[in-house]
Amino acid sequence: MDVALHALNRFGLGARIGERSGMTDPRGWVLDQLRRPPPLLAPDRLAGADPFAALREVRAAQAAGDMAALARARRGMTRIVAAEMEAALTRRLETDAPVLERLVSFWSNHLCVSSAGKVVVTALAGAYEREAIRPHVLGRFEDMVLASASHPAMLTYLDNAQSIGPRSRAAQQRRPGAQRAVRGLNENYARELLELHTLGVDGGYTQQDVQELARVLTGWTVAGLPGRARAGDDNLRFAFEPLLHEPGAKVVLGVRYAEAGIEEGRRAIRDLCRHPATGRFIGHKLVRHFIADEPPQAAVDAVARVFTDTEGDLRATVAALVERTEAWNGVERKFRTPQDWVVAVLRALDAGRAATLPAQLRQLRHPLWSPPAPNGFGDTTREWADPDSLLNRAELARTIARRMPPGFDPRTLLDVVETTAADPLRSVLADARISVDERISLAVAAPAFQWR
Amino acid sequence: MDRRDFVRNMCLGGIATFGFPTVSFAHIRQPGRLVFVLLRGGFDGLAAVVPYGDPSYRSLRGALAFDTSDVNALDDTFGLAPGLAPLRAFWDDDELVVLHAMAIPWRTRSHFDGQAILETGLDRPIGASDGWLNRLLQVMPGDRSGIAIAAGMPRSMVGSHAVQTWSPAQLGVVSDEYLERLASLYRADGTLHGPFEAALQQQDAVGEEAMAGGGARRGGITPLMRAAARILRQDTGPNVAAVEFSGWDTHANQGLAGGALDRLLGQLAEGLVAFRTEMETAWRDTTVVVMTEFGRTARPNGTRGTDHGTAGAGFVIGPRIARSAVLSDWPGLGGSALYEGRDLKPTLDTRAVLKGAIAATFDLTATQADRVFPDSAGVRGLYDMMG
Repeated sequence: MDVALHALNRFGLGARIGERSGMTDPRGWVLDQLRRPPPLLAPDRLAGADPFAALREVRAAQAAGDMAALARARRGMTRIVAAEMEAALTRRLETDAPVLERLVSFWSNHLCVSSAGKVVVTALAGAYEREAIRPHVLGRFEDMVLASASHPAMLTYLDNAQSIGPRSRAAQQRRPGAQRAVRGLNENYARELLELHTLGVDGGYTQQDVQELARVLTGWTVAGLPGRARAGDDNLRFAFEPLLHEPGAKVVLGVRYAEAGIEEGRRAIRDLCRHPATGRFIGHKLVRHFIADEPPQAAVDAVARVFTDTEGDLRATVAALVERTEAWNGVERKFRTPQDWVVAVLRALDAGRAATLPAQLRQLRHPLWSPPAPNGFGDTTREWADPDSLLNRAELARTIARRMPPGFDPRTLLDVVETTAADPLRSVLADARISVDERISLAVAAPAFQWR
Repeated sequence: MDRRDFVRNMCLGGIATFGFPTVSFAHIRQPGRLVFVLLRGGFDGLAAVVPYGDPSYRSLRGALAFDTSDVNALDDTFGLAPGLAPLRAFWDDDELVVLHAMAIPWRTRSHFDGQAILETGLDRPIGASDGWLNRLLQVMPGDRSGIAIAAGMPRSMVGSHAVQTWSPAQLGVVSDEYLERLASLYRADGTLHGPFEAALQQQDAVGEEAMAGGGARRGGITPLMRAAARILRQDTGPNVAAVEFSGWDTHANQGLAGGALDRLLGQLAEGLVAFRTEMETAWRDTTVVVMTEFGRTARPNGTRGTDHGTAGAGFVIGPRIARSAVLSDWPGLGGSALYEGRDLKPTLDTRAVLKGAIAATFDLTATQADRVFPDSAGVRGLYDMMG
């Protein structure tokens, strides 16, 4: 095993041609990236466009019933969504800190929203990753979860923005015969916060805990949603609305939260993030993502311990993962997800065109920011190495290779994948009877390129 | 040579390369076809199969109660939601069993635990275990195969019996020479060579026509169900298929007739009817089972939707059922009848239904059916449901 190549592929986004030969300290290459500032993506990459403003325009046009303005506003929003995706994918193709982009993808998927459904989430999924995930991937887990919990994309995606305390003032004050029915509690977000974001499904919570946590989080909403607007307060940003908040003390996992408005939710989320079950859950998921589909228990325990001992310091947690010998023994293979595969192909070929990537990712069934369910996309061989997916990759490889400029030597691609001397890929790539672009396709569609 | 010719040649070549005679006389091609349609997300059984005759229905469902005039009555108690009206065609032909107050054998309101239970066919969550459709392939007699019509390999199909996958994606036309070279590279990879060759063979069956028209969801599931039928109806087609359809996690604004959920129900019903048509004569050996991981809360939540619940509804469709019927030991919707005061109470185990369906479709004994669903011997299969 070539350790430099292993570092580039296992922890990064795929080696570029020639990159491994210049690397003297592969483990240091990974760890150095963890010491950098957080991988922010400034909104100026969107050419000044503001997705919140675009969404407000859509809503204003809807409210005014102005169809021409609505069509214009929708087109503007579509352009911004495309720009968000292009900015994020360009970063993956061009970054010299690919480890950090892997972490952004991992956490963005762990705390996922999906732009496939509600229009608010479609508009804000990019902003969600920029604002709630990126600042915290080298910071503290609870800060990331708090940022997620209070982001309009998540509040909308998992319905908390609509949840109303049954005994809240809003529920009490609604006049009899009012046009709108009184809304009430929605436990969707509270359940997924416990099951998917923090404790894990085996984390020892009950239905009662789900409902109590939902009550704690009533009032965490979005300013300007229907029924939430107060004068001049419709910016579609996070708002804590006391009128919606369920009064009184609540008990979650045996901990009593006295009535404290927004602070109740902050305290409960911090407690959940620091719960030992959360450490085990996150440790397992990180080791599965970076080391092996069946995570070695010793590695899980070690990573979980650092996570718990440091109260969720993600820089220290990931460093502990990188230091594990299991990450470097070359025994375990990880199958590249479709996103990671196509990014690795484009980095190796230096042929990135981020603008066309979103459509290709949809066809590979791994669309950006659009997992089918709140548990996000999987990351194991079992979930991705099915017959149809392999064929999709073979087909897309041809499309990409046909765009390559003349003069590219397909054999140079052996520099970015682990192959043995006996691998038939070597002779195929040297076979001058096969066209150059077909040999490029064969290299990136070959089994060696599917693993990292 | 087009891609299909290539695949055919490759298969023949493959047999020749192994170099031993195939003992084929002992293998009888299994004619049965079973399609397991998994509605991921928690399908609201009370909105789909409406207990309009239950005295508590209207008060309990409140804003989500259908007008009786919108319900397609099956009997004095139950009727189909307006969107499911196309299923009447099955009902009238004695091809529809409706199940209600049915649930998986493990109490959970987690999508992921619930789907794991339904897909593994076990009575409790166990880390790494085979899917029950794969176990069915292991148990059933004759030459048989399975296919997942899905994005990736669903849990229900995972196991030691090799299974194919197919979905209607199209990323570009490629030459057979290219695929042949690629296949030779894949033969060197112990994990990936099986799936890759299965993909090439599957491509042969579907043809290019089914690929047209884009993704399955744009026009509902009808294009996907039609493509599935084209694969399954062949004489040597797969016997067991897993199909999935998501979008049922209706926490807000479910709506009534013509609403969000009802439109989704319409897509489901239309897809099932199109599937029957496209199966042609192979329909006579086919059973379709429609299930979900859990039902939803009996009462609407605060956002005119429903939250994760317990028991719900499902369907068994096909000519092998005895007669159209609603099979339910109906627990009722009165306050004390609800499970934990909030959900429809489970009175029917999904495994009882599945055992009945597989036994009739593949002529299995009860003992064989029990092997597909370990530890289910105490749960009697609904063998009378089938003809």
